[in-house]
Amino acid sequence: MRARLTTLSMVGPALVLFVVMLVVPVCLSLYLSLTDWDGYSANPAFVGLKNYVSLTHSAEAIRAGWVTLLIAAVGTVLLSVFGLGFALLVNGASRLNAFFRIVLFYPHVLSALVVGFLWSAVLGTSGVVNGWLTSKGAEVLPFLSDPKWALVSLIAVLVWAGFGVNVVLYLAGLQTVSKDLLESARIDGASKRQTFFNVTLPALAPVVTVNLVLSLVTLLKTYDLVVSLTGGGPAGSTQTAAYLILWDSFHNNALGFGSAQSVVLMVITAGLALTVARLRASADRGVQG
Amino acid sequence: MSALRMPRVASMQFKPFRTKGWGRIAFLVVTSVLMLVPMYLLIISAFKSQQDILQHPFSLSPDQLTTEYLRKAATNPDFNILKGYAVTILFVVSVNLLSVALAGPVSYVIARRSERRYRMLLLLFVAGTFIPSQVLVIPVVYTLKFLGLMGTIPGFVLFETTLTLPFSIFLYAGYIMTIPASLDEAAAVDGAGKHRVFWSIVFPLMKPAVVTMVILNTFSVWNDFVNPQIILGPGSGLYTVTTGVYAAVSQYSTDYTVVFPTLLLAVAPLLVVFVLLQRHVISGLTAGATKG
Repeated sequence: MRARLTTLSMVGPALVLFVVMLVVPVCLSLYLSLTDWDGYSANPAFVGLKNYVSLTHSAEAIRAGWVTLLIAAVGTVLLSVFGLGFALLVNGASRLNAFFRIVLFYPHVLSALVVGFLWSAVLGTSGVVNGWLTSKGAEVLPFLSDPKWALVSLIAVLVWAGFGVNVVLYLAGLQTVSKDLLESARIDGASKRQTFFNVTLPALAPVVTVNLVLSLVTLLKTYDLVVSLTGGGPAGSTQTAAYLILWDSFHNNALGFGSAQSVVLMVITAGLALTVARLRASADRGVQG
Repeated sequence: MSALRMPRVASMQFKPFRTKGWGRIAFLVVTSVLMLVPMYLLIISAFKSQQDILQHPFSLSPDQLTTEYLRKAATNPDFNILKGYAVTILFVVSVNLLSVALAGPVSYVIARRSERRYRMLLLLFVAGTFIPSQVLVIPVVYTLKFLGLMGTIPGFVLFETTLTLPFSIFLYAGYIMTIPASLDEAAAVDGAGKHRVFWSIVFPLMKPAVVTMVILNTFSVWNDFVNPQIILGPGSGLYTVTTGVYAAVSQYSTDYTVVFPTLLLAVAPLLVVFVLLQRHVISGLTAGATKG
């Protein structure tokens, strides 16, 4: 009995806080998504799946969904390629490599909000780069003022700010590659390319999974950078799901509709993350078997 | 395999690769310049006039530099930066203390008990990682209102602490499993209670994992924007560094003599901390990643 109370006193506080601040709100979200609540009225009407049906008709929400998926897909690929590429280049213990690692990683320390403001001051219509181009008599470039350019700029800044993390994770993975295997491959006369594909890459498989899942989950909730870099514009072209959810909930007072979008985003995030993890796991089994 | 190892021969065979290193270094130098240009612009522009920033953004003429704009930004009536630092540091410290106090014991129980319900408990906590916090903040507002904690410091700290729990518990539990259980059994035989065993035997051994989490939590609390913006709100008069920057910069987004000095003041403390601690930051992240 006493032992039980002790265990309870160790588990209880964290569990209570987790349930009150995370489990209950998620359930609340599910419930709110079935109502037409505006955030004020005492008795919101239960509308069933109406919010989900209007979600499939909302051009704005569908576009935000595609923009988010595009950012997540392109971003994840670029982060992984840059991450692994640069990790291979700065692998090895030298002062110069240590310096390069810090330089590649440092933007991650800055808040996404500050990174966005900084780049908007650099790339904006009257920003640093365009000011410089004008003073040289050249034409202004629409980095943030043309819908297509703005989306490309947003992804580029996300990659600039984030790939250092992937570099660090891949470096951690490279430490686990067996030195004996690398050496025997070398002695057996394997080329650099053969060694990479047959020894290094299979050993990195678990880190690849971590990187892909982490990048996907992070990119699917892109918000701060949108606020400070593009403000969702021009003409809504860079609105992400998280941006639209908060906009609908707090500016349009469409809490029910916003909650329905939240539920969809949560399901997609969890679904994609689990799918990637599972695909990678079965691919690894395939390699071993 | 070890019988086949011929280190000397192997290293001699490998030497020719080293001469190819110059291409690699040149490429990395170019990349580093690209990575650092925005930081260079941020620092020098904080000391320049609007006209100078736009016409000669990259050049640095010492006689034209001035600390006037930096001083103006530091005393901006819209955003008291010193108060912003103080509020943010208060949050960072409270969240870290509370997070360790709550996540430590529960991770210990999860790591030491093999029953199914404790494995399910771990799964429940870890599932929290998949929930985007921007999505969570909407219903949390109503939970906090119900508890009378909306717009208050305790409300914000409790929510921000909750966000740290999934990854902390995952990391701590994994780490505790690598600490031999015989250590705590010996202490228990000597009559120490469970809490005592955890805090005085196991906890000191978890230091690397705790340092990692403290570093990660410090960055995420310092840089968080949407949660303080919505939970503390403009009504509370409480600005963190990021919400203060938002208030100060979004109004004057094209007055670069406001934008650059304010941004510099916002990032300077964290950059200094990062440069001093970079070894721990990077190795901490590495440890977190391979365990995760």
